[in-house]
Amino acid sequence: MQTLDRHHLLEFLSRHFIWVVLIATVLVFGLTIDGYLRISNITNILITGSVLGVMVIGQALCLMARKLDLSAEGTVSLVAVTAAWLMLPYRETDLAQAGGLGIELDPLIVIPLILLLGTVIGFVNGFMIMKLNMNFFIVTLAMQLVLRGLALAISSGAIMPGTPAAFNWLGGGRVAGIPVSVIATIGLYAVFGFVMSRMQFGRKVYAVGANEDAARASGFNPARTVILVYMVSGFLAALAGWMLLGRLEASVPNLGVGITLNVVAAAVIGGVSLKGGEGSIIGAFAGVLFLAMVNNALNLMNVDPLWVNAVRGLIILVALVIDAQKSRYRGRAGPAEPKVKTGAEPNQKAALS
Amino acid sequence: MGRKDDILLDMRGISKSYPGVQALADADFSVRRGEIHGVVGKNGAGKSTLMGVLMGIRQADSGSIAIDGTALRHASPQTMLDAGISYVPQHINLLNTLTVAENILVGNLPKNRFGLVDWKAVNDDSQERLKRLGLKLDVRLPVEGLSVAERTMLAIAKALFNNARLIILDEPTAALARGDIDLLFSFVRAQQEQGVAFIYISHHLEEVFEICDRVTVMRDGHIVGTREISEIDVPELIHMMVGGGVQEYERETTAGAETVLEAKNLSRRGAYEQINFKLRRGEVVGLSGLQGSGVDELAQALFGLERLGVGEVLLDGGTFDPDSPRDAFDGGLAYLPQDRHRFGLIQLRPVRENVTYSVLDRLVSRLGVLMRKPEQQITEAYIEKLGIVTPGAEQRTMLLSGGNQQKVVFAKLAATQPKVLILHEPTQGVDVQAKVDIFNIIDDLAAQGVALLVISSEVRELIGLCDRILVMYEGRVTDEFTRAADNMKPEDILLAIEGGSRSAAANGSAALTENNKPSPGIRKGVS
Repeated sequence: MQTLDRHHLLEFLSRHFIWVVLIATVLVFGLTIDGYLRISNITNILITGSVLGVMVIGQALCLMARKLDLSAEGTVSLVAVTAAWLMLPYRETDLAQAGGLGIELDPLIVIPLILLLGTVIGFVNGFMIMKLNMNFFIVTLAMQLVLRGLALAISSGAIMPGTPAAFNWLGGGRVAGIPVSVIATIGLYAVFGFVMSRMQFGRKVYAVGANEDAARASGFNPARTVILVYMVSGFLAALAGWMLLGRLEASVPNLGVGITLNVVAAAVIGGVSLKGGEGSIIGAFAGVLFLAMVNNALNLMNVDPLWVNAVRGLIILVALVIDAQKSRYRGRAGPAEPKVKTGAEPNQKAALS
Repeated sequence: MGRKDDILLDMRGISKSYPGVQALADADFSVRRGEIHGVVGKNGAGKSTLMGVLMGIRQADSGSIAIDGTALRHASPQTMLDAGISYVPQHINLLNTLTVAENILVGNLPKNRFGLVDWKAVNDDSQERLKRLGLKLDVRLPVEGLSVAERTMLAIAKALFNNARLIILDEPTAALARGDIDLLFSFVRAQQEQGVAFIYISHHLEEVFEICDRVTVMRDGHIVGTREISEIDVPELIHMMVGGGVQEYERETTAGAETVLEAKNLSRRGAYEQINFKLRRGEVVGLSGLQGSGVDELAQALFGLERLGVGEVLLDGGTFDPDSPRDAFDGGLAYLPQDRHRFGLIQLRPVRENVTYSVLDRLVSRLGVLMRKPEQQITEAYIEKLGIVTPGAEQRTMLLSGGNQQKVVFAKLAATQPKVLILHEPTQGVDVQAKVDIFNIIDDLAAQGVALLVISSEVRELIGLCDRILVMYEGRVTDEFTRAADNMKPEDILLAIEGGSRSAAANGSAALTENNKPSPGIRKGVS
């Protein structure tokens, strides 16, 4: 009885819309921009997309749980600065550059440390939001300020160059000519795609995001689920920080400033709703590809950098408009009064209240 | 008092249907100038639909509305306000942080010659206006500092300043103590003497007798009748409310001998006191009470959504004190919430996920991966068994009809294989066919040995369904009716729910005497 009526059609389009857009984008840019589809450029797109991509997974999970993690970009910068600080030799800070603490820790120790740091930050976020009943927006916004402030304080606001090669492998290394960061990102998407669609944790995240009260009454523990989501988000932000620092080989003050909006945008463009409870990891992946391709094209087309932000902002707004319309349409057609075919007696009790 | 032929509002032949239900059928309703007109009936009897039509927020399918003899062509909220009809809800909407004076003059504050608000004029003007209505309030006080009764009176006053001639009071005394009720009633009567008419909606029948001139009874979308208050008594009014026919559904008892759930001296401050009851295997027990009687709190506490308080609950002989719904499921108790949209279902997600949420632990492999096959099987089995009408297991739950949504909730609970199942208004908002289906599901579960506690305000449904019916009032179990004793009379049960006693009803005299008047502390109304 599954006919392709108007509702199913809209449902289908809203679910797979991003892929249509993606194909169209490839065609348009491929045909109009010289060298766009060259291997070197595609690699370039993927490399720049991988840090964004890793962060989008964490943010997508938060959005699916009907939350938001504004602190993730703060985690990126704190983690990068901390890593450089622990690994680099001591030197006098001058106007341009700073040295490390001087203990010159091995990258193999530093890497787990920073991943743990990110996870703990996520736990603190989640704990304050779910156990202390604080607003997620303000909590993560304030946390971002704290993290960024710490990063600036540790680095004295200066560049810390010269991170060791072993550390840089994730961000800058290649295996068989393919960037490690791209392989890692695709791997993470595969893992989280599976987790969200096939594992209990994913089921819980969607349930809690769609309706926290009903999730509790269905036997779930929303606080535990959301805290875990923030821990994953913190962990992935730390991983993104590691990747970014490895690519740049130097910790730069204000690393990742303003990336949050891009991250949220990529997730929303990929069909993850700001209203929680739906969207897929694979969709978010498509969203990342789309944004990375557009950013690359803006570069290649020599668009005046002063205009780039306006164009990006516009794309994000369009994605948000589509997201809002999607749920508005559902609000109208969704829990509509059923068409009952039971010949209800006219004097039956009304279902009001 | 309104003269008998001085009709202010005349509604004729009002009908309104929603898919599957006739909310209003050919309803005639009129209000005289300067009368207080009570409207009573159970939840879902059609009161809110009728008032919605009168306020212009719902459009009737057919019928006519005339005010002062002039037929209204188009009923919108604005035309109704212009015609002098005002609504004072149970939960008063005022600007709480602003003063009384600002609330009265909001949007129209007097200015001085510098264009600034003239606060002296604001206060003097509003004080003067209130004085004319005989209302003594400090106009400089913020509204949030007022009592509920004072807020209600202020809301009525605001309506009068906007030239209201007919004011709908919806459960105005629900959160009031007796002294405040007296205060409110004398204010309402004073306005009545100035020619203002009121429609008074209440579940508290004694108040209807106290303040109303006439009363209209609604049932199942019909107007059962309108009577002069002097020509009717409580038992007759209750009889009109519950109707005279026999209930359509009656099940054979499946109650066993062994006790499954037992509450001993269960008390929680401000919710319920000294609750004792037993549920036997396969037994269906009804539980009914007004809002604030402790019924809701008791059910939610048993499911681990709230604290149980002091006392003891035994389930299958062992102590049962759940901290969370998960605990309750694991202990063998499941709960069907009244608010299906908020607590029952995750509407965005498909039927399959909703059915298996409660048993996910059993559907995962050692590595936490969900096993698709058993999940699919469970879902298909329940879709078939409960007759859930859906295009498939992957349909978003919100696209199902109310009755089918309710069946999905049943499936989720039944999947946990509970020993005790608490159902909170299980037939609310479902169509007739689904209602019968739900009765059959209840019957099946009871036959399998599940003990069921059915919380409902549908007394007639309870009588058909239950072996026993418990009534709660003011936090206590005040009455018990059993099929065995053959004393499950709808009139008696309804009276007990309202706080009256059976013997008084049997005498047919003024049933609600002074000493069982509700005490102010715990009392709330049915919403």
